[in-house]
Amino acid sequence: MAGTNNIVVAEHICKSYVGVQALSDVSITIKEGEIKCLAGENGCGKSTFVKIIAGVENATSGTIRINGREMTKHSAKDAINEGIQVIFQDLSLFGAMSVAENIAMNKLVKEGKPLTNDREIKRIAKEALDLIGVDIPLDAQIQELSIANRQLIAICRALTLDAKLLFMDEPTTALTKNEVDRLLEIVLGLKARNIAIVFISHKLDEVMRIADSITVIRDGHKIGDFDAAEIDAAKLAYYMTGRQVDYQHYHRDDAAEASLLEVRNLTKKGNYEDISLNLRKGDILGLTGLLGAGRTELAFSIFGMNRPDSGEIFVEGKKVTINDPDDAIDLGIGLVPEERATQGLFLSKSVNENVAAAILKRLKGFMGNINSGKSRDLAKEAIGQFRIKVYDEDTVVSTLSGGNQQKALIARWAASKPKIFILDTPTVGIDIGSKAEIYEYIQKFAAEGMGIILISDEVEEIVANCNRVIVMFNGRKVKEYTEEEMLSPDIKEQINSLVESGKTAGKEEAS
Amino acid sequence: MKFLKKIDKTQRFLIVIIAVYCIVVASRNSAFLSLSTLFALIRSAAGTTILSMGVLMVMISGGIDVSFPAIAIFGGYTSLRVCMAQGITNMFLTFLISIAIGILLGFGNAILVNILKLEPFIITLSTASVYFGLMTILVGTKNVGATDLPPQFRTLSSLKLITTTNQYGGKIGLSVFIIPVVLCIVLTWFILRKTLIGKGIFAMGCNTEAARRAGFNVNLLRFFIYGYAGFLGGVMGIIYIAGTNSVNPVSLVGTEMSVIACVVIGGASPSGGYGTIFGTILGVILYYLFNQTLVYLGLSASWQDFFMGIVLLFSLITTSWQRRVQNRKNFIYTE
Repeated sequence: MAGTNNIVVAEHICKSYVGVQALSDVSITIKEGEIKCLAGENGCGKSTFVKIIAGVENATSGTIRINGREMTKHSAKDAINEGIQVIFQDLSLFGAMSVAENIAMNKLVKEGKPLTNDREIKRIAKEALDLIGVDIPLDAQIQELSIANRQLIAICRALTLDAKLLFMDEPTTALTKNEVDRLLEIVLGLKARNIAIVFISHKLDEVMRIADSITVIRDGHKIGDFDAAEIDAAKLAYYMTGRQVDYQHYHRDDAAEASLLEVRNLTKKGNYEDISLNLRKGDILGLTGLLGAGRTELAFSIFGMNRPDSGEIFVEGKKVTINDPDDAIDLGIGLVPEERATQGLFLSKSVNENVAAAILKRLKGFMGNINSGKSRDLAKEAIGQFRIKVYDEDTVVSTLSGGNQQKALIARWAASKPKIFILDTPTVGIDIGSKAEIYEYIQKFAAEGMGIILISDEVEEIVANCNRVIVMFNGRKVKEYTEEEMLSPDIKEQINSLVESGKTAGKEEAS
Repeated sequence: MKFLKKIDKTQRFLIVIIAVYCIVVASRNSAFLSLSTLFALIRSAAGTTILSMGVLMVMISGGIDVSFPAIAIFGGYTSLRVCMAQGITNMFLTFLISIAIGILLGFGNAILVNILKLEPFIITLSTASVYFGLMTILVGTKNVGATDLPPQFRTLSSLKLITTTNQYGGKIGLSVFIIPVVLCIVLTWFILRKTLIGKGIFAMGCNTEAARRAGFNVNLLRFFIYGYAGFLGGVMGIIYIAGTNSVNPVSLVGTEMSVIACVVIGGASPSGGYGTIFGTILGVILYYLFNQTLVYLGLSASWQDFFMGIVLLFSLITTSWQRRVQNRKNFIYTE
């Protein structure tokens, strides 16, 4: 259990930027060897708090005691000297450099010796890796490693500087379930060494499981400290958003049985095997399983970006070959990809241009020019309809929060009025408020007659939105839940245990 | 053995090309395999090798410099004219003047990159023009013939480390140029591989923001990097003038792209974070092999550009292909 010594005591912290009160009167205490979760929606001020403790920014008012000493206007260097380390979400690693160099870098800079010694670098790295009991080749380049291993490298780097308090910003977003488990084990190991860990999260996920306490921040105010054992997801969501968030369960009312999209025995070697599925108007078909189960690959095949080896695709009963996304769009298929930033959006372009991207053909004037007035009206309409929080339609998409970016992407496809809409893990990294809104849109689309395929890792998301579910493992379909089965009261537990069993099977296969 | 393990794909590729080319040329013309070819190669490649070390460092840091020929000629030619006017014959002082000018002009680049936060390419493109123009105004561009060169330049030009006679009884020798070249290579290697500054240069090339977070002063590093490139430019300026034996100060301008090509062929990543000294040297060797020995194949020197282009293109195609395969695996479609 957590020790009795306090590492950080922050009292009545206020921080205001020009015209914006980012934090007001926030008091947080972090104890030795404690695992704390700092929860709150995007933009609630949790990152600002971390920056203040880490000395990157200074508080407008309030007092901070670190290891018993008052350090109100401390610098980043002071914080590091006191053993406070932040692992940023982007991990701040050097891709083309070796594992050893990456781990040792901060220590080298801190010591400031003008000459470096390869043997010394390797020794520092090895020591840190041993500390968390992980074996990663010291000479490997960071860019060759998985995201999970990169995360471990970032942890090791923090440990080389005798970290007593480690902030981790959204550490589980890009990890598979197995990797999350390994990370949590390591975090527990650090806790046993009396290192305090603070997770910064807006997700109600695995990190909650091992947290001792949870502090919720909303709109710059601390809502409260909670014992992790005493709080459940629903309550936490309520504290974070300030409103009751409960997801509407979806039921299909459409009587039409005609198939909208049918996939027969689709196979692509190394991706997925022998997949058949049938989508009707008004269906929200869930695709779940583990990351790497072949779901994304299948979605790309239906969207014409990953040619299958064999099998057939039918759209509204007609056999089709989809060679590229253009074909898919012409057939009325839309896709919101997993990586919205790299695969979906034009980050440096405006909301207007992003929304119009899939319907340029319709916006074409008689000279082949784009009717910018029409495009602008459309963007305005989308902003209103999807409640995208922007200044105006010319706002550049990269400046939006994750939730608003995703809404802009969904708005793009909604404008193209697809018949078949595939959404690949659409709510990853998105705050609860936006999540509920996205569910609302998905269900509305389906109720209006769209056929939707929803790929997701979150069983709760699947159960709330889907009227049918397919579970995949290692590229194969292992189970399809029918509409009737989805109505069963313990459906969530059923799917959960199936996914869990696949996880252990996967582990055995891997070892 | 440890060294062999460190040889990367690009280097292996270049070694194979160089070996095959040498075998082909040697089989066509036995005169190729001789000390005199080697000595001539070293002498002519000296200047480019020195410059390429600076370009390599700048490129690893994620930047680019196209102003180094202007810096080199500014330093070298000014030093020459000062020596002529003041009657200076001291070798050390001659180098010192050129190097001081080189470092100053390099700092100029660093200041502009730090303040303007623009692409180093456009900044150094404009400073190249500014520097050369400044020299034209301040010092002029008068040709200096071989007989007018101060004695230290002539000594540098003719001094040999080793002399021997070839099969025709002619005297050949290894130019003293090899000394500054080796010194510059060793110094660059030491900075890049054995110092904290070197780690910082690689780090900022990989991820500037992360380098800053790790505690490096990135602006200060840029001063070092561009200053060092200027320093090498200064050294090369003197070698260049001694090497050509008569100076037309306009002739060096426009050679930047071939030096950059050597470095890129040597495997340095144009986006920063990666590059090796050995690879760069191989790139320079290949360039001068084509430059000096195509005559043995009965081809004119104009084929050099063609062959260099082919090698560069080929290495770019393999890199791009590998990246594409990698991206495909991650479902990133770049085309």
